[in-house]
Amino acid sequence: MKKFLLPLFFLFLFILESLFVQYIPNGLFGANRIIAPHFLFVGLLFLTIYVGKRQGLIYSAIFGILFDIVYVEIIGIYFFLYPFIAYLASKLMNIMQTNILIAFLVSLFGIALLEIGVYEMDFLIHVTDLDFMSFLDLRFYPTLILNSIFIIVTGYPLKRLFEKHAESLRDE
Amino acid sequence: MPQFLMNKRLIILLVSIIVLVALIGFSLRERSKLSWPEQFVKDTTGWVQSLVSKPTNFVAGFVENIQDLNNTYEENKELKSRIENLASLESQVQGLKKDNKELRDVLGEKKTLRDYEPLPATVIGRNPDRWHEMIIIDKGKLNGIEKNMAVVTAKGLIGKVKSVTQFSSTVQLLSSMDPKNRISAIIQGKEDEYGLVEGYDKEKKLLMVKAIPSGAKIEKGQTVITSGLGDVFPKGLMIGKVVEVKQDQYGLNLTALVKPGADFYDIKTVMVTKRTMAQAVDQDVTDGKEEE
Repeated sequence: MKKFLLPLFFLFLFILESLFVQYIPNGLFGANRIIAPHFLFVGLLFLTIYVGKRQGLIYSAIFGILFDIVYVEIIGIYFFLYPFIAYLASKLMNIMQTNILIAFLVSLFGIALLEIGVYEMDFLIHVTDLDFMSFLDLRFYPTLILNSIFIIVTGYPLKRLFEKHAESLRDE
Repeated sequence: MPQFLMNKRLIILLVSIIVLVALIGFSLRERSKLSWPEQFVKDTTGWVQSLVSKPTNFVAGFVENIQDLNNTYEENKELKSRIENLASLESQVQGLKKDNKELRDVLGEKKTLRDYEPLPATVIGRNPDRWHEMIIIDKGKLNGIEKNMAVVTAKGLIGKVKSVTQFSSTVQLLSSMDPKNRISAIIQGKEDEYGLVEGYDKEKKLLMVKAIPSGAKIEKGQTVITSGLGDVFPKGLMIGKVVEVKQDQYGLNLTALVKPGADFYDIKTVMVTKRTMAQAVDQDVTDGKEEE
């Protein structure tokens, strides 16, 4: 039973993102602002930070390709970026202490990288024609604010959950 | 150089970038249907999503109902004033429908581009990444949905079916940017003008109808509907109302900015339209083969 807990939890985050954009009224941060939730990715980064690089990378790759197939229908964008940024985060954690504040900053940094990475890719393949400055204003800052609120609210429970999981892994 | 090749991480990075480009190229090309692993994954997650979305839909509906109670009095007043007009309009419509049917019978023409069969569906998901505006609905190939069918809400056209799996399908909204996503439209006035719905102005939240002949007389407030020409869209689906008309980039054509009738956010149930005329043509072809 315990084995299924983590995949189920991430599946829940995966669906929560879709429910969030479906039900939260548009224009929470002003009329034209776009806010994109990255709850799943926050979970993945916390997993990388608190459980380990190997687990984090595997989960990032699996949920990245799931995200691509189900929501985006262009395979490759999140499949590449999720594990890549998770890897960078684990490298960053090597030189820093693991505490909740650092985890917050690193995951915020990861989300910023993800947003910029996805924007650049979508710009290359002509999914968007937004210029960089309006991207920052319309989408980047509101998204960061939303996700930092999410991390503040769920950061501590996430940390507890993953620390427990790491312990049970060690016991085995 | 050997040193460079020995670096394992660098090689992994380079290989994964090559794989990334290959995968993106694979998924960007014009595909008539998804590959079977993708269909399998989409169906499985679609099933989970519909399990989750039913209770949430219920809760959201309940909250909305409570909010509605707040302004019931005002709404009631307004609706009452509208209902008086409605009765006379209804009798007019009845008369026109009857006339239309009689005239059609005289012509011996049974089906028009306007006729379609609505397939109701519930929204079970929406793309959270928000670059590609797409929603997922709970009806698929088994329910008779096919690629490129028009999808509408009560207020108007919202998009077309982008891909179909057995039990669910993905709808691309009009607000997403895709140069391949063009819809033939009519701007209704004294004389109908034809144009193509192409692109969406994100900042103004208006649809762009391009390729209108430059002599066309278009005024603010005119209604834009689908023309039913070309693809599998039925005729007469509401798209929106003209807000602004301007010359295009080269001054050869006009571009009309259209305020969409439907809201692209807060979509709960949709209707997929199956044009009966196109189907009739298909049947004729297969019947012909059987006779041979």
